[in-house]
Amino acid sequence: MTRTLPRLTAACGAALLSVGLVACGSSTATSPGTPATAPVQNEIATAPPADDATDGATADEDDPDDSGDGGTETAEADEDKVSANTASEDEIAQALTTAGVSNPARWAEEVVEYRPYPTDDPDLTKLRKNLAKYNPGQETTDKIVSALTP
Amino acid sequence: MTSAGAATRPGLVRHGLVALTAVGILAAAFELFSEHHWNGAEQLVPWVALAAVAAATVLVLLPGGSGVGATRVLALLVLGASVYGVVDHVLVNYGSGPLDERFADSWDALPLLTRAWYAASKEVGPAPTLAPGVLGQTALLLLLATVGAPRRQRAVAPG
Repeated sequence: MTRTLPRLTAACGAALLSVGLVACGSSTATSPGTPATAPVQNEIATAPPADDATDGATADEDDPDDSGDGGTETAEADEDKVSANTASEDEIAQALTTAGVSNPARWAEEVVEYRPYPTDDPDLTKLRKNLAKYNPGQETTDKIVSALTP
Repeated sequence: MTSAGAATRPGLVRHGLVALTAVGILAAAFELFSEHHWNGAEQLVPWVALAAVAAATVLVLLPGGSGVGATRVLALLVLGASVYGVVDHVLVNYGSGPLDERFADSWDALPLLTRAWYAASKEVGPAPTLAPGVLGQTALLLLLATVGAPRRQRAVAPG
């Protein structure tokens, strides 16, 4: 009986020690998993574009018109626009008609009234602000602005 | 004491009315400035009216009442400009009805009185309908200030 107590104490101590080691081991055991997934994420993050993956060429090298199409469309859209600062009221009304704005003559009058517009603001914020007083709705405002440049 | 008080009271009231006129001029100028009210010749009308009522305010203070007549004429002109402004604002709002997305399709079908009410109450349009009335009120104050103002003595022929 006198020997039993030290043995039990030693057994409990050993059990606690082993549980502690397992606990520590499990926390460190997951750590290696993290680096294991990290390279995958890095590969995704640094994966080259599909274009490069196939032949190693960049989009511009493949097709010089890749970005050119958008530029041409923008240029064509700009050609249809008239200047809110310098165009006549009739020209503005015509542009608004083309853009599908209802009451184009009346809106052209308003565009002319609130001149001048800052030339460094292609979104015509000043015009939008003044048009908002008439409660035309976002769609009409966007149509009007889409037909104009500063 | 009583006679002195009776003598100073009209002057006090007159100067009070002139002071209120000055306040009205400053308030209207601030409102016009904050609204950027200078797009086109028509929007310059209230500025001209303000200049006129300011000049009239100076004239009414001239000693001997020498500017009372001119003050009254200018005040009446400004009163007329004020009425014109109120009517013009209502008409601008009325014309803006079809531009409002809520009424774009139905404006012409609404009864005339309904459209007129929407315009006058600024339910449609951008123009504050009674704002020009401040100019008229200012002009009326100035007209009142000319009542009881000292009158220029006419030269009486001897004999």
